[in-house]
Amino acid sequence: MHVLGRARRHAVLWSVQFAYMAEYRAEIALWALSGVVPFIMLAIWQSAPLPGLGLDGPMLGRYFLSAFVVRQFTVVWVVWQFEEDTIQGRLSPYLLQPLHPLWRYVAAHQAEQATRLPFVMLIIATFFLLQPAALAFPSPPRLLLGVLAVGLAFAINFLLQSLIACLCFWSERATALERLLMIPTLFLSGLVAPLQAFPPGLARLALKTPFPYLIAFPAQLLSGDPLPVEGGFTVVGGFLAMALWIAVLLPLLSLLWRAGVRRYGAMGA
Amino acid sequence: MVVWLLAPLRDLRRHLVSLRRFWGTSLASQLEYQFNAFIELLAMVGNLAGSLLVLWLFDRQGVPLGGWSWAGALVVLGAYTVLTGFTSCLLQPNLSRIVTHVQEGTLDFVLLKPIDSQFWLSLRTVSAAGVPEMVLGVVLMVGAALQERGSLNPAAVLLMAAMLMAAALTLYALWFVLATTSIWFVKTWNATEVLRAVLTAGRYPVAAFPPALRTLFTLVLPVAFLTTVPAEALLERATAPWIGGSVAVACGALAISRAFWQLALRFYTSASS
Amino acid sequence: MAIVTAQGLRKSFRVAAKDPGLAGTLRHLLRRRWQDVEAVRQVSFQIEPGEVVGFLGGNGAGKTTTLKLLSGLIHPTGGVLEVAGCQPWRRQRRFLEAITLVMGQKQQLIWDLPPLDSLRVNAAVYGIDDSEARRRIAELADMLELGEELTRPVRKLSLGQRMKAELMAALLHRPRVLFLDEPTLGLDVNAQARVRRFLADYNQRTGATVLLTSHYMADITALCPRVLLIHQGALFYDGGLDTLRERLAPWRQVRLELAEPVPAERLAPYGEVERLDGAAAWLLIGRDRVPACLNRLLADLPVLDLEVNEPPIEELIGRLFQQGFLEEPPA
Repeated sequence: MHVLGRARRHAVLWSVQFAYMAEYRAEIALWALSGVVPFIMLAIWQSAPLPGLGLDGPMLGRYFLSAFVVRQFTVVWVVWQFEEDTIQGRLSPYLLQPLHPLWRYVAAHQAEQATRLPFVMLIIATFFLLQPAALAFPSPPRLLLGVLAVGLAFAINFLLQSLIACLCFWSERATALERLLMIPTLFLSGLVAPLQAFPPGLARLALKTPFPYLIAFPAQLLSGDPLPVEGGFTVVGGFLAMALWIAVLLPLLSLLWRAGVRRYGAMGA
Repeated sequence: MVVWLLAPLRDLRRHLVSLRRFWGTSLASQLEYQFNAFIELLAMVGNLAGSLLVLWLFDRQGVPLGGWSWAGALVVLGAYTVLTGFTSCLLQPNLSRIVTHVQEGTLDFVLLKPIDSQFWLSLRTVSAAGVPEMVLGVVLMVGAALQERGSLNPAAVLLMAAMLMAAALTLYALWFVLATTSIWFVKTWNATEVLRAVLTAGRYPVAAFPPALRTLFTLVLPVAFLTTVPAEALLERATAPWIGGSVAVACGALAISRAFWQLALRFYTSASS
Repeated sequence: MAIVTAQGLRKSFRVAAKDPGLAGTLRHLLRRRWQDVEAVRQVSFQIEPGEVVGFLGGNGAGKTTTLKLLSGLIHPTGGVLEVAGCQPWRRQRRFLEAITLVMGQKQQLIWDLPPLDSLRVNAAVYGIDDSEARRRIAELADMLELGEELTRPVRKLSLGQRMKAELMAALLHRPRVLFLDEPTLGLDVNAQARVRRFLADYNQRTGATVLLTSHYMADITALCPRVLLIHQGALFYDGGLDTLRERLAPWRQVRLELAEPVPAERLAPYGEVERLDGAAAWLLIGRDRVPACLNRLLADLPVLDLEVNEPPIEELIGRLFQQGFLEEPPA
């Protein structure tokens, strides 16, 4: 019963958020477009093929298309929203409601992703029209794994960004830190360069961070092409690493959130 | 004496907590702005390092990007860095405010001033945040050009400065047109994000792209004129059509931004409540 | 020669409508329904130089839209409009230098800087030279009782101080026509009174014309001998405040303290029974019938105490806005 109540609450929250997001569909279409970076990088990678990369033109195409799709469904803007809510004083009423405020943001993100879906489909279709050679779909089990990986990547990114959002309790300018987090998210995640192109040492180092799991791993699953033999992920290893990151970040967030709320209360906001 | 010295130890926990509170609050209040500047610097260094990494991935395998050497590509990256700095100095602080003006209705105050509203909105504030980036960009351009050519021709430096100026004006016009659309759509933050994302193509010489994109980046989105042309000017490779084109694009973009603002104002004044 | 002339002024907007819920959202996505909203309809009035006019109406009655039309921020859909000899929407320099608009809920001062910096910006924008600007700032600061607050960041000022600084910024260029939209919004009673005094004083000294909207009737009664009433975009009264009071309340409220509770039926013949509370009763009695009724009341009923009240104008106008029209005075 409790679980059902929670599910219903989430469904209502989600539908309201969807209405809100739908009002901003033009915005969201533009936002989807602002993820063009993988396509720009694809153009460069296809024009200057590296020897020994193990990815031919169509494979590069599928990889960067998948990276684009993964990015679309893992974008997180909780820091920005949370900062706004704190400044505008909307947080206090949220804290009084019998629902963890972060759930509200999760619902908002999911609603926004649903609004994005048609635009992303459109962009995928356009891509295959422009690069028919790259046209290939992953096998159903692979697709399923890919979708699961995208969900987990969203979870990791959401947890990471929420950690920074929690800093809003202490500093008014936590968005500045989010800018810093964007840099490794851009360069180490595989969004601008496939990890196979990294020198082995750097690739190993990147794999020790959560960033490749945000883009590269789900993208390689979605692309449907075989995972690289060396210096890359295995399916099991990748999912284990993602689970590990979630297991580390979740308690950390919970601690930081509680400390933050305590401080927020102490400041008499 | 000993007892007096050790008094804090009696209640160690409370003293440690207080100390943390003291330092925490004083740091928070002092560092609010310095901290921001520090983050800006870090972000700048991080972004540049990331861009260098991508260029290096090609260079270490001996693959030239669109026929540009490592040093040549660095000159382009330098031009890109200068323009990013310019964006943080002037475009970002001013033009992002247009959206706020529209949302909060304070655009009314601007419109009631006996002064050109586009002038007011474009140049109202300036931020120092982008200055280090502009300096770093120039240093990178000059250093890489020296590495490429051994010496610098003053005429080439002047021409580069002129081309960068044209690029800055073009960039301004693009941003301004986008910011202007906030009069219809209110929230246009995302449109500027699209512009930003597309402009990241300017990190690389336009020749590194396939022909279709090259045409797009020249004729539709003037990415080529923003970074490649100034870099070519410094490397003494710029040809007259490109130089003329750069100036023409800047003038045209400015004229368009002006006309578009007039149009937006006509709409605003006939439709807003 | 009137300084503000509006004739048959009209303004309509198109707005999108959406039903609530997911289905409504989806339908809205596919096809937007548009509605034309008449914000201002056929409004005509004239204001002479130096007049102080109150502009009253409920929320959404069209006050702000009219002020925006008058200050040139929006185009009229129809009608004739002239302010300070110009057509406002053309926003010529001559016009902009002659008017000012103060909006209580919006501010033009730069949040992080002292008001003095914003004032300097405005002086430059209006082409006032430095010594003249200093003189005017000193004069206005004196009238508004502002001192070192001018050198403190705006965000550190109280709401009242901020509003006074806003007025300074709005009046630095000595406009001849002042459009004030809720200038006392959110201020405490003292600050409201000070702003009011200042406006009266400013009007006296400079002969500037003032058109003022306010939710606080005290602003209107203190400042405006003449009021314009607007409801759903249409003007339905233009005249003196006193005349309005007489027309609105052709009755007096009589409070009776009786020796014992009396049923309403026994009181009804004397006047309309507004309220009964034990031995206390409130009656509404026509103005010209008051003396005769009181005589009969005192004779017929065990009256211990009696009080005749003029109804408060706030209440009258509130009732009027719900009603949305004014009955013609009985011939």
